Amino acid sequence: MISGQVIDRRKFMKIGGTALAAGLVPALEADSKSPDQTTYSVKWYPFTGHPDSDTCWSLSVGPDGRIYAAACAESVPGGVVKPVRYNEERDDLDYLFDLAQMVDDPGTSGRATQCKIHYSFVPSMHDGVLYMATHLSGPPIDLPRYSPWYSWHDPKRCFRGAALVAFDTRNDRVLWWDTLIPKEGCRCLLHDEERGLLYAMSYPRDHLIIYDLHTRQGRDVGRISSINPQALFLDKQHRVWTSSDYGRLVRYTPETDRLEISPGLLPHNLNYQSGWHSVFYDVAPSPDRECVYASTWCPNPHLMRIWPNAGEWARVEDLGPATQARDTTFPVDMFRDHCGGLTFAGDGKLYYVASRWRDPKYNPMPGSGKELEGVVWRLDPQTLAREEVTELKHPTGVANYVSRGAVDHNGDLFFGHVGNRPSGIFKVSMPADRKKKNAHLPIRMWG
Amino acid sequence: MQTKGRFDPNSPDIKAYLEELAHQFVREGTMVAFPTCLPGMTTPIPHDECRITALDIDSEGHIYGGTSGRQAHLFAAAFRDLTGVVLDVGVVAEGTSSVAVCCGQSGALAFVNGARGGRAIRIPKIDLAQDWIQEWGLKPPVLEDLGECVPGEPVAHAICDPTRRSVIGITTRHLFTVDVESGKIMVIGEVRGGGHLGLNRSAVFGRDEGARLWQFDLASRSIRRRAIELPEGDWTVALRWASGGDTNQLFTGDAAGRLFSFDENQGFRLLGRTHLAPLGPFAMIPDGRLFGFCGAEMANLFCCDTISGRVTNLGVAASVLEQRRYGYQFGDAVTGRDGEIIFGEDDNDGHLWLYFPKIKGRGRTTL
Repeated sequence: MISGQVIDRRKFMKIGGTALAAGLVPALEADSKSPDQTTYSVKWYPFTGHPDSDTCWSLSVGPDGRIYAAACAESVPGGVVKPVRYNEERDDLDYLFDLAQMVDDPGTSGRATQCKIHYSFVPSMHDGVLYMATHLSGPPIDLPRYSPWYSWHDPKRCFRGAALVAFDTRNDRVLWWDTLIPKEGCRCLLHDEERGLLYAMSYPRDHLIIYDLHTRQGRDVGRISSINPQALFLDKQHRVWTSSDYGRLVRYTPETDRLEISPGLLPHNLNYQSGWHSVFYDVAPSPDRECVYASTWCPNPHLMRIWPNAGEWARVEDLGPATQARDTTFPVDMFRDHCGGLTFAGDGKLYYVASRWRDPKYNPMPGSGKELEGVVWRLDPQTLAREEVTELKHPTGVANYVSRGAVDHNGDLFFGHVGNRPSGIFKVSMPADRKKKNAHLPIRMWG
Repeated sequence: MQTKGRFDPNSPDIKAYLEELAHQFVREGTMVAFPTCLPGMTTPIPHDECRITALDIDSEGHIYGGTSGRQAHLFAAAFRDLTGVVLDVGVVAEGTSSVAVCCGQSGALAFVNGARGGRAIRIPKIDLAQDWIQEWGLKPPVLEDLGECVPGEPVAHAICDPTRRSVIGITTRHLFTVDVESGKIMVIGEVRGGGHLGLNRSAVFGRDEGARLWQFDLASRSIRRRAIELPEGDWTVALRWASGGDTNQLFTGDAAGRLFSFDENQGFRLLGRTHLAPLGPFAMIPDGRLFGFCGAEMANLFCCDTISGRVTNLGVAASVLEQRRYGYQFGDAVTGRDGEIIFGEDDNDGHLWLYFPKIKGRGRTTL
């Protein structure tokens, strides 16, 4: 891409489109060394079994310790999502099913399609079920685009609703499905397994939805704001947290059945931001479950550590920006300026991927490399020191936008990626001395 | 199964569709969502106590309103001169639903339902016309509870008479009045109460049994039951009204979104039909256009030209000044001093939405 070029979301997702046609998408393996010469090897797994796929918005570890990802197809009219799983014996991906067919809402329906799973894989440990919920944006097969606002009242075009699927990972079969949120997509999902409740954020109306797995009934708790938060998290008191688009914490307390808004603002750049749009992008629990680490979905996203049980409204520590400085007199899109994929690994360190790009003033990288890079960072929760351990490499396209990250039962890192067609996932093999079995436990209960 | 788009991207239909998508929000005019606070100075009304369900405007152009939710709040607002403030006047004890606010000559009265029944609450006159950055002085106002309007009956709606000295209200079963100055509540008689009240220069109208209206004559203080027959339509919803125009006509609508003008002498006249139903709040601006919302869950703004009867879909409400907000559900509307409309957002964290309609072009005339 050329510096200064207008890059909208659709263009961004098409960047790798020619790569498939040219047969340039073999799995790529590369070794990188962190400053202390510890080797992290990186391998790319394109969704070649679903060539329409243009995004991978969900990647999570399942209750079986294996990695699940969503091969989404949202820019393709009639496009549908296919859940995939990393097969460690074959070192390849298994395509599990066509979700749209599974829930009787095929891509040919004429409605907005079951095109993606957006931060909405959640495990159920007691029975080995992986719940997944769909999101909207994929246009009907005979239209170039879809707007949930425009088609809300159109029974022919309107999205049928977020489909909730219960997938039994022990037997590889779908046990049941239901419509989680009529007419709306599910932006992100959380499972409170002790109470048998799923929590979801609806799109576009930004309502918090509670789904009781015992009764299979949903309930709308009400609207939060306008811009969807991209993550929910759970604390030890079974309270569910997210953020409003005014940059405040939002907390749902089951005992009072109230949605409350924090008085304080989440960290943001005080020089030019007000906190607006500082919604959560990704939230990872610490291994001891005492705090979470989060990044925001706004330019120059900040990392933060949140202690939800401290004080009346949690203690929030600003860990600083995750991405580089830039010229703030001109906007930057949040595909370029991005931080996601937060996950703890077996070495007790937080890993995440932040974008880095060539900038003549703020980051004059050599012209021979790619303009956009995805850097894997390792943060020590004790010292808060960060080190760059490797860079994600795509054979032809970009590797800067990671949606989610997870560690599997072997202790290796995986990252879902957005920005190439077909889309895919990265595997980052952990150095032997930083790797341990069952590093995914205790498991993250939200997407 | 792989799927591929089945359309011609160059077809007129597809181009027209894309053009529609490009203008799906506020196709005409400008909307500004204003929070329920003095920005930068106070905090807004709490998120789940801020569904704005009742509004009125006083003779100075200041807005008074009430919220619904976990607790009902009453507020006063000003957007003229050096103001820009929504002042949270206070919480109504055990109140959860504001059904009407009426700006009288000596202050505003609010009607709020809750665990203690349907009560009349006096909001003292607030001097909003100040420089709200520093040159102001105001002690926190105190709400005065005037009591339950009719024991055991929630209030459905209330409206000021043209003198603004008296308020006429209805509960589920009775019509009552409140003297604005003294606060004295008087039960007038038995009527069926439901939906909003309409007011013209001489009478108040409300929904009666069947497809009929009762009429309360302001001069004689008498009620005529089943006085007026509603026109052919679907009258299965609670009525909403707007008034305005040179003859101070009334406007209402049915469950299917049909809009009617009403005049005691000329009766009802069908104006047009909104593209969605049910009708939400609507109000008339001085040039004879009605603006309001229609549709459940995700309302659309509409415009009805009461002269031509043309009804236009103006899309979903969105405010983009400073920070974006979408508006999906609205509870009440009043026309501002200069022809803008103020909508109350009936949603969590409800804002006051100021709508500045597009100025109509004047036809050229040859001298």
